[in-house]
Amino acid sequence: MPPRRLLASRPFLVLGLLLAGWFLVPTVIKRALGISFFELQAPVHLAASHVRDLQDFWSLRTRSSHDLIAAGRDLARLNASYEVTLQQTETLRREVARLEALLRMPTLPGYRSEPARVARRDFNAWWQRLTVRKGRNYGIVPGSPVIFGGGVVGKVTEVHAYTAVVDLISSPTLRLAATLEGDTRPLSFQGANNPAFGPARGIVDYVPTDASASEFSPRRIVTSGLGGVFPAGLLIGEIVRLETSTDGLFKTGEVRLDNRLSELTEVTVLVPERRD
Amino acid sequence: MPTSSVERSGSLVETHRGYNPRLLVFHGVLALACLGVTAGLAYQQLIKTDIYHDLERVQNQRRVLTPGPRGNIYDREGRLLVGNRPRFAVTLNLDELRGEFRTEFLRIRRAYREADDRNLPSSGELEQIARFTVVQRYLDEVNRRLERAEKLDGQALTRHFRRQLLLPYILVDDLHPDEYARLLEQLPVTSALQVYTTTARHYPFQSAAAHTLGFVGLASLEDSPTISLPGEELKTFAMKGSIGRDGLERYFDEILQGETGGTIYRVDPAGYRVNPPLVRRLPVQGRDLVTSLDIDLQLSAEAALGKLELPASAVMLEVASGEVLALATKPDFDLNATSPRIAAGAYQQIDAAGGWYNRSVKGIYPPGSSFKILTAIAGLRAGTLDPDATVNCEGVYRVGRRLFPCHDGHAHGPIRLAQAIEVSCNVYFYAQGLRLGAERLAEEARRFGFDQPTGIELPFETKGMLVPDAAWKRRFIAQRKLPPDQQAIEERWYDGDTANFSIGQGFLLVTPLQMASFAASVARGETRTRPTLLHDPARAPLRSDPIGLNPVARAALLRGMEDCVISPHGTARILNSPALRIPDLRIAGKTGTAQVATPGGTRNLAWFICFAPVDRPEVALAVMVEGDTPGEEFAGGRYAGPVARDILKTWWDKRRAAGPLSRATAIRP
Repeated sequence: MPPRRLLASRPFLVLGLLLAGWFLVPTVIKRALGISFFELQAPVHLAASHVRDLQDFWSLRTRSSHDLIAAGRDLARLNASYEVTLQQTETLRREVARLEALLRMPTLPGYRSEPARVARRDFNAWWQRLTVRKGRNYGIVPGSPVIFGGGVVGKVTEVHAYTAVVDLISSPTLRLAATLEGDTRPLSFQGANNPAFGPARGIVDYVPTDASASEFSPRRIVTSGLGGVFPAGLLIGEIVRLETSTDGLFKTGEVRLDNRLSELTEVTVLVPERRD
Repeated sequence: MPTSSVERSGSLVETHRGYNPRLLVFHGVLALACLGVTAGLAYQQLIKTDIYHDLERVQNQRRVLTPGPRGNIYDREGRLLVGNRPRFAVTLNLDELRGEFRTEFLRIRRAYREADDRNLPSSGELEQIARFTVVQRYLDEVNRRLERAEKLDGQALTRHFRRQLLLPYILVDDLHPDEYARLLEQLPVTSALQVYTTTARHYPFQSAAAHTLGFVGLASLEDSPTISLPGEELKTFAMKGSIGRDGLERYFDEILQGETGGTIYRVDPAGYRVNPPLVRRLPVQGRDLVTSLDIDLQLSAEAALGKLELPASAVMLEVASGEVLALATKPDFDLNATSPRIAAGAYQQIDAAGGWYNRSVKGIYPPGSSFKILTAIAGLRAGTLDPDATVNCEGVYRVGRRLFPCHDGHAHGPIRLAQAIEVSCNVYFYAQGLRLGAERLAEEARRFGFDQPTGIELPFETKGMLVPDAAWKRRFIAQRKLPPDQQAIEERWYDGDTANFSIGQGFLLVTPLQMASFAASVARGETRTRPTLLHDPARAPLRSDPIGLNPVARAALLRGMEDCVISPHGTARILNSPALRIPDLRIAGKTGTAQVATPGGTRNLAWFICFAPVDRPEVALAVMVEGDTPGEEFAGGRYAGPVARDILKTWWDKRRAAGPLSRATAIRP
């Protein structure tokens, strides 16, 4: 029988051998394993998401017919108003196209809208992410902007076969070029270190010194369109605090983000259209 | 079979002496050695600990200094004249690329070995190639995103590695806001590539008051007096700061200079940074400066001078306080061309045009007939001039054997003081000057401070102004070391010198700023006006010795100056023409046309000094325009007068819109 000391050290020995083995495995295999791990994990998330949808469906089935008819009526009205807005947008789009042609201006790159259900939310102190139920199968590419009815959601950072990971604007790893609404000067927006369950906040930098904002008189910031990722004019949030930086050149401040960011169930991915 | 020692000794008991006196010596030696080591350790640990601690700090810590932004400069109404603009640059934090450099180094070395290249570079050269390759890769990425074609300077990169490893390496400087917005959005937050912001001086009014405001140059921060960061003994990496090189930027550099901030980092043995920093001090912006300049008047003065396309100067003062409202010099230059540093081509271009020269405070010129006001005051005070007495002007005045011509060769006939000022009669003032004498005239000029700098808050104000007299001429000629007989002739003070002196010609030299101060003093009925470029709404009115004229004499003087503008024969009558007249504004002025001998021939200088309104003076003005063509007729009224008129018009329009000034001018007899 081997000595007790050898027996006691066996787990460490095995761990060491495994680590050494992993170290010796070629990088390509390691990378393939990593990707396939996520791809194998994704169906679990997708299945859970579909189960949640089914759960919602059955919970709605418990509602009375009267409630459903009322909701259907509200929805029809909403659709009608959206239809009007769509027509107005289409008219404006044509007018913009006509003016661009008249002035011989280059057409700005367009985006294809791709609605996607949220499969998973991953909020912690280091990052704030969503996983959506569409990926390469719908032509989504990394860097695609993601929006919802309240403005910007974030940016696609990883794309897998059937899912994509979206970095939320509340995540400190996301930064974008913004402007104050009604202004053209660019400023920097970045997600702050947000608590997992607290209200989402961001920070702004390089704000012109003539701008002011407070909790009682907030100032909206929108995407600038200058960064090349997000189209212009999408709502990011509201600046609720501004103070002059020590160099006196700019102001820095805090941005209050939409509370719905943490409970999104459906988002739209703007897939950049290829210009061939 | 071996035998035991017991058997050999024949004794069954093994004896052992536990104590051997000889071992005591070794014990002692050992104890001493231990004591020595302990003492040595204690010495190193307890006594020399501070020294080693300091050595360790110096070896393992680095200090990075960041300049504080300079304070702003405003005009008297709070409009920004000099500020700071952000300069965006895309930088690369080299110390974050250590791993990439190593990987690239190995890759290149492997490639050489696989190719069996015998010219394998040395390890140091391979390191440089690897660094260059990695940094070039990042620059390519920036170029791709910005659609630029920036190139990497290998020497600069090597220098940066050697001397400034802890400072971010600037890949592309002075980004357009669109470009920096693009990089902000497209670069990952954790990338070694980052958008970096520094400040550069910004001049919203471009060339306005260029000579007065001045400019800054790049300077090392290591000698900055405003460093509040500890660690002077540490190896320091300093970003470039700025220092005032000219104008207010130089004179008030200590006030405007921001407080230098910085960071102290721990570094590893290779010199790469270990985050987070040990100490961090944020830079603080310098204090602001509120000048007395009024940018509306300044722009008006520069626009009026600019129309002439000649070297010229215009100075406007507030009579009560001496505050400078406008201080303009042409030719000038766009201050933005000096920020953050001036290009050699731009410097030479400005230099060739004479743009660096601040004529208002550095230029010394004969004041010509505008000096006749002082001659009149001197005569009136000395009692040699009766304002009602006449002098017969026949067009020339004989001094010894020489005939001195009158203004334009006119024969004015019998003429009194007021009229002599109005038509600028030389003969009248030759006679008065000779009656008074050069010494008393010089004394009066010195009383008004013509022999001293004004003391304005600008660097390099000339000290070359000159009030001549006989003693000065003797000294001056003696310096030329002429032959004795020639020296005896030239060093004498002649009546001709006095005649020239009395009409502001000859050896007399003044600056345009002095003439504006003189006009302000006359307007206030005093002798000295110290001009200032600082605005203080609570500043007490200036006080100096009274001018010493009785009301009759003063009235005659002012009547002559006002007639100079409004009379049909006045030398500044152009200001009363329908096109140039300023409604409801009474101006007291005096023109001057001085001659300057140049190698190319005699050139004229056009002068005009004035103050307004006559009854309650608020502003005083001096305008000087240099003629560029020898022998050309270049009258002060025709050239300098309209410039003064444009400035006064701007002032008067503002004045009427704003209501009466709070700072009243007290006129002293």
